[in-house]
Amino acid sequence: MNVMTRPDELEACAPAGTFVETVTRVTHFTDRLFHFHTTRPSGFRFRSGEFVMIGLMIEGKPVFRAYSIASPSWAEDLEFFSIKVPDGPLTSHLQKIQPGDAILMRKKPTGTLVNDALVAGKRLYMFSTGTGIAPFASVIRDPDTYEKFDELILTHSCREIAELKYGQDLVASIRTDEMLNELFDTSKLKLYNSVTRENYPFKGRITGLIESGKLFDDLGVTPLDPATDRAMICGSADMLKDTKALLEAAGLTEGANSRPAEFVIERAFAG
Amino acid sequence: MTFVVTENCIRCKYTDCVEVCPVDCFYEGENMLVINPDECIDCGVCEPECPAEAILPDTDPEAQKWLDLNAKYAALWPVITEKIDALPDAEDWNGVEGKLEQLSEKAA
Repeated sequence: MNVMTRPDELEACAPAGTFVETVTRVTHFTDRLFHFHTTRPSGFRFRSGEFVMIGLMIEGKPVFRAYSIASPSWAEDLEFFSIKVPDGPLTSHLQKIQPGDAILMRKKPTGTLVNDALVAGKRLYMFSTGTGIAPFASVIRDPDTYEKFDELILTHSCREIAELKYGQDLVASIRTDEMLNELFDTSKLKLYNSVTRENYPFKGRITGLIESGKLFDDLGVTPLDPATDRAMICGSADMLKDTKALLEAAGLTEGANSRPAEFVIERAFAG
Repeated sequence: MTFVVTENCIRCKYTDCVEVCPVDCFYEGENMLVINPDECIDCGVCEPECPAEAILPDTDPEAQKWLDLNAKYAALWPVITEKIDALPDAEDWNGVEGKLEQLSEKAA
């Protein structure tokens, strides 16, 4: 299949309303997961936690999918986190990109996993599975999040231990980053990992760990309380549905940009 | 898979959905918006934004009968890409039942 990745060629045929951005770095974590950086268009503004449509020109046609921007709103470049689906229309090609290649990006970022869609609270939970960690990679590097909440708890659950590496490396890098430590109190951030298909000290789906109370015991915090706790959820369709039900049972209500409330969900990456 | 606009948009037309749509797939009639099912990427960001709770995923049994109407008018009405003021008496019409007969087929 013909995939156009040369920046000059892509510029010449990019559809209206799209940017052509250059890939600057690619990291493969497992045979199912990778991460890459691109240049950021001047004038492209977004809120930490939002997603944007990115794509490739394949056989002369643009193919786009929604991707969370994993970098914070102040960063000079853009970061994305992707699965590799062997016959996926986009990811089967996207997984082959190399530094110097170009990709397409639509100009309108959007999303619900943003600080603006939550009312003030004390503790922010970010529940993620798999690549659902991507928007939170952005949110946990945004000074606004630390200003709004006393405690940030990122949960990341995956099938295999190797899939946790991205989140673990990121959190470790935030804690030791001099610039970020000057901007906000990085000790507010906690990472909680669980694994579903391999032996690991914290085993099982996040929904089971919420339901049993093990999550709160392990973290040493009180159970979910609508007076203090806020949440963002990003993961598989089942995980979204089940986590939403648990939060609603605890008395939290779903919010949106137009009416902030106690928790928000991203559906864009489900399925 | 797509989301669809249903009856409670009629005579309200809040347009909060338009502001968040990443692919600009809303189309504007005189007193209702519709989604182009061929363009919607099923991201779902619009659904919780609608003050009239008029947007549903097509997996919802209630949504099925609105799918054809959305497709039909998306082909006839102009695209809308930015939020505008809601209709002046939107608050009065939000939640009123049986609004389908009030639907204007005119484009915005």
